[in-house]
Amino acid sequence: MKEKLYKKEVWITVVFTVLLMLMGHFAQIFVIFPGLKGGRLWGFPVEYIVPILMGWFGLAIVCLIQTVVCNKFDDELDEFVKSQKPEQVTVKTGKG
Amino acid sequence: MPMEYALKEVWTGVAVIAVMFALFYYIGWWSSKKTASEDDFYAAGFSIGPVTNGLSMAATWASLATFLGVIALILKLQVPFVYLWIQWAISIPLLTLLYGTSLRRMKAFTPGTFIKARYGNGATLVIAGWMMLIMVMYALGQMIGLGQAFEILFGVPYNTGLIVAGLATLGFITMGGMYGASYNAAFQMIIMILAMIVPMGVIMKKMGASGWWFPPLAYGDMVPEMLKAIPTFFDMKYDYRWYFALIPAFTLGPVALPHLAMRVFTSSSIKSARWAMFWFAVFLGTLFTGCYTAGFAGNFFTATTGAKIAKPDQILLIMNVYYNPGLIAAFVIGGAMAAGLSTVGGNLMAIAGLMGNDLLGVLAPNMDKRAKMKWGYVTLGASGLIAILLAFKPPAFLVTSILWAFGLLATTVSPGILLGVWWKEANKLALMISSIVCGIIYIVISPHVLPSICIGKGIVAALGMSGGLVTVPLSFALFILGSLSFNRIGALSAWAPTLEDRKVIDRIHGWGADYDEKRYNNNTWAIAAAVVCIGITYWGLQPWA
Repeated sequence: MKEKLYKKEVWITVVFTVLLMLMGHFAQIFVIFPGLKGGRLWGFPVEYIVPILMGWFGLAIVCLIQTVVCNKFDDELDEFVKSQKPEQVTVKTGKG
Repeated sequence: MPMEYALKEVWTGVAVIAVMFALFYYIGWWSSKKTASEDDFYAAGFSIGPVTNGLSMAATWASLATFLGVIALILKLQVPFVYLWIQWAISIPLLTLLYGTSLRRMKAFTPGTFIKARYGNGATLVIAGWMMLIMVMYALGQMIGLGQAFEILFGVPYNTGLIVAGLATLGFITMGGMYGASYNAAFQMIIMILAMIVPMGVIMKKMGASGWWFPPLAYGDMVPEMLKAIPTFFDMKYDYRWYFALIPAFTLGPVALPHLAMRVFTSSSIKSARWAMFWFAVFLGTLFTGCYTAGFAGNFFTATTGAKIAKPDQILLIMNVYYNPGLIAAFVIGGAMAAGLSTVGGNLMAIAGLMGNDLLGVLAPNMDKRAKMKWGYVTLGASGLIAILLAFKPPAFLVTSILWAFGLLATTVSPGILLGVWWKEANKLALMISSIVCGIIYIVISPHVLPSICIGKGIVAALGMSGGLVTVPLSFALFILGSLSFNRIGALSAWAPTLEDRKVIDRIHGWGADYDEKRYNNNTWAIAAAVVCIGITYWGLQPWA
């Protein structure tokens, strides 16, 4: 169970990191694939307006999905932790 | 005659700013009554709800540059600078995903709290030191901008504007602690959005856009005229490396900005922090998209009117004076000031947290919580005063570019936080060495300190893009390889992560008492990442066109 949860956490983190990077750096797609340039959307060149839309609505949608998925994962993890022997969780203050 | 901003209705401007500051002070005073403990002072009692926090996050991120500098830089670099600006918006979602909720789980006040728990005192001094330097640079830039805003709004000398704006700002920020900073920032974000979007609608209508009713996205019918006036406006002028360099220089740095991370930590719960991230994306996207419209309009305005702008930073204000009534123009400058105030509030709270909580925790570990909170107040006030004093005659190195400082943060701080949260092998000594060595290299190869030793040239070097492409991956690689080596040298065992250090990682990821040595301990991926980083460093060392 915990192995499955761990893998799920890693996958969620990797997938959403990639998606967030894509939303923030969408202009790179038009540099890597210059053939995509030249179209028009709402009167704007696509290489201008699509990165802007991705950085706003695209990002908001990814954040929404990320929130729902991560919050659901937290519930699963909490359930697992509750099923274990209860113990006080503390954080070490540390020494150099 | 070059055009410069001049508001004729000075008293209108005075009234707008006076009303705004009165509201900020009221919020600061009201917040001060809620501040009774360290949790309240540094983290607003871990109580801020998602919508308020989303607004506060957006306000803390959007600085004076959103109203002034960015539009000037769009005038200079045109659309590539828009691409540069778009990626800022992923900082808080990325931060929340990669470590924000983990650190919120341990109830950290700043990222320094985690560094201390994970790496100990020595590393805390190094990392908190870098973060404080960058926060002072950031706050200094905002103070200079606030002084200039008063100068151009009221026609007073810069120094007078700086003292009045600086002290007035410091007053309400110090009064309210993190509660005040949070609620004020949320309110300031609403002002910013209104001040950016609504006046732009009027400007776009007068410029001839049929979609003036929605300035952020509905000006496509102006594109043919824009292309006639500036045929190169939409050109993607640079090669792929320029766009890739945005990641190490400008994405990975802000991920470690303490004043942004602290906004996540103030959330009422981990789930609330994630919802705040969603609202942040909505609100910041609205403001930023309005800002790109202003950049488009600024280019269009200068190209079609033939106006020579003496101070490009003032282009938004010039357009408002040109097209809008004085009251609206004064409100826009009020919005610009709100942007500066919310950011400087976050900067000063971060400095107070780093000093009052993290560094004092190292230097005076037995100090009681109440005394530490008092020191937090003292640090907050003192750091603001230092920023004001530095702004009188700012050292060129410190104000060169806050954008450049993001690369420094990505080099010195980000690897320690990210690998510290996700990799149990991360070694204390390797962190200190990689942070100090690569930080110094970043400073040396920039054009700002030793211009004769510089990687890249022009604006690419000045903004830290060429430097960051070398030192950020180098820092990650050095940290990873150093950790793997030092952990296997008996003489250096004191610096290796202890079992307790490794347990911290499992706990902050939410595993409670369940500890598994294999979790967050994959050396194959770490080595692969180091190899990729070395490759990127080599790529960064190649001459720039």
